[in-house]
Amino acid sequence: MSALALKPENLPTPKDEDWKYTNLSRALGDLKNVPAQDVQEILIHKTSGEVCVKPEDIMWKGVEGQHQNLRLKIVLEKGAQLTLIERHVGDGAYWKNMSTEITLGANARLNHIRIQEDSAESIQTNMVHITMERDAYLNSFSLNMGGKLTRHDIHMVLNGSNIDCSLNGVTLLKGNQHGDTTILMEHTAPHCLSNQFYRTILDDAARGVFQGKVHVHQAAQKTDGYQLSNTLLLSPKAEMDTKPELEIYADDVKCSHGATTGQLDEAPLFYLRSRGLSEAQARMLLVQAFVDEVVDKVSDTALHDEIKEKAGRWLEAALKSDD
Amino acid sequence: MIEIKDLHASIETDEGEAKEIIKGLNLSIPAGEVHAIMGPNGAGKSTLAYILAGRDDYDVTGGMATLDGQDLLDLAPEERAAAGLFLAFQYPVEIPGVNMSMFLKTSINAIRKQRGEDELDALGMLKLIKAKTKELGIADDMMKRAVNVGFSGGEKKRNEVLQMAMLEPKFCILDETDSGLDIDALKIVAEGVNRLRAENRSFLVITHYQRLLDYIKPDVVHIMADGKIIKSGGPELALELEEKGYAGFIGKAA
Repeated sequence: MSALALKPENLPTPKDEDWKYTNLSRALGDLKNVPAQDVQEILIHKTSGEVCVKPEDIMWKGVEGQHQNLRLKIVLEKGAQLTLIERHVGDGAYWKNMSTEITLGANARLNHIRIQEDSAESIQTNMVHITMERDAYLNSFSLNMGGKLTRHDIHMVLNGSNIDCSLNGVTLLKGNQHGDTTILMEHTAPHCLSNQFYRTILDDAARGVFQGKVHVHQAAQKTDGYQLSNTLLLSPKAEMDTKPELEIYADDVKCSHGATTGQLDEAPLFYLRSRGLSEAQARMLLVQAFVDEVVDKVSDTALHDEIKEKAGRWLEAALKSDD
Repeated sequence: MIEIKDLHASIETDEGEAKEIIKGLNLSIPAGEVHAIMGPNGAGKSTLAYILAGRDDYDVTGGMATLDGQDLLDLAPEERAAAGLFLAFQYPVEIPGVNMSMFLKTSINAIRKQRGEDELDALGMLKLIKAKTKELGIADDMMKRAVNVGFSGGEKKRNEVLQMAMLEPKFCILDETDSGLDIDALKIVAEGVNRLRAENRSFLVITHYQRLLDYIKPDVVHIMADGKIIKSGGPELALELEEKGYAGFIGKAA
């Protein structure tokens, strides 16, 4: 028996500060009363110094009517290296009640690419705990396209010095989709770099949430902590809630956060049109560029191109439907 | 080539009122000529450039503007570009995430397509870019950078002239292309423009400074104030203006 990441009898509600913008209970509806399946667990453990040249590709499949109890555990011991591709698909209404635990030992390197294309009726909650030791490296990228409601709740603890970690994400939502990314980045040791870079495009009546907090403990001098969330709204009914936060107790750090929400700027549109591009062509080029700047953080060429193509198809459809 | 007759245009103020900026402007530029427009701040010079290029912040309330007999004011900005109009922006716009070679390729092929020509293939495009960048002393690595992002003032203006050279327009408007340039950058930009001078191509050069006209010799100089052209003359007019300042001319006109 493994404990569920979120317990149906004790679900967070919008009264909890962290869940202010995301009403999980309402979205779950009848799925709340469905007993959870037995735990499905994927454990990836690389021993000290193990360098995996080939990426590992895992898939989580959602099944109609189920409350799925999913656990992903990744342990990279000292100096181990891995590229992990985590895919999410599914059919019908289901709840992926997921927990992810990632432990990166000293000097370990993980590239984690997540492609989330859950079904339009599904719910996914993913409670993520990541701890990193000194000199470890994490480059994570998340493409969030699916689900009726998704919540990606990431708690990172940087435990040693000289850690380099970046969390990147592209969220593309339409219809009544709701996508929530909530991050707590804890710097507890000096000389670490953390970078959060998220871009969201919302069409129709979709709603996005980005809450990111960088917490720099007193011991974490010389921290570089950055956070950026940019959102494009393609429809007047779309809504973005952004809550960037910095909490700093050390006195020698470089930290910044930025958040923008808006429509495409007129100035670049006019510039491109004055160079012969049609309005539709100019819009597509600009939204594609908006997304590509994050996708470019994916270093694996094949994955980079796959993600770019998926996002491109979504963008093309979204812009076409607005004409 | 370009005919502007009794053009009136206004912009909506923050208070929601229409404020007239162009107040009955007449201008005729024959093929092959270079005309300069000088005038004080707020005269409406840049507004004129934007209206001709098709920016929709302005309401054209009267008059007409044609390029080779074709009514410009009814066309979308991209159609004006295909018809042969090119505006070198005073403030070239940064486009993060779109690199220069992608931008140039898309632009050239969009215009070729509108003109009913075949798209240039990758090799043809590469050759064209190489030839034109070399003429303007633009380093190859600029083609990998995002459009105007992190460009110096000189690089931005050179980039405008590069696009002008590649798109081969009939009528070029240079909106303060000289502003903020040091003398070396100014010479490069002016040489780029002079190389494009041709019998079937006209220029409208908007500037604050007579200095530019030492390098790009105009056929006609116009002085613009309060939304109209108040005096036109030969190149000597620019020198006279430099001496007397705008006040003398504007005083006379009023």
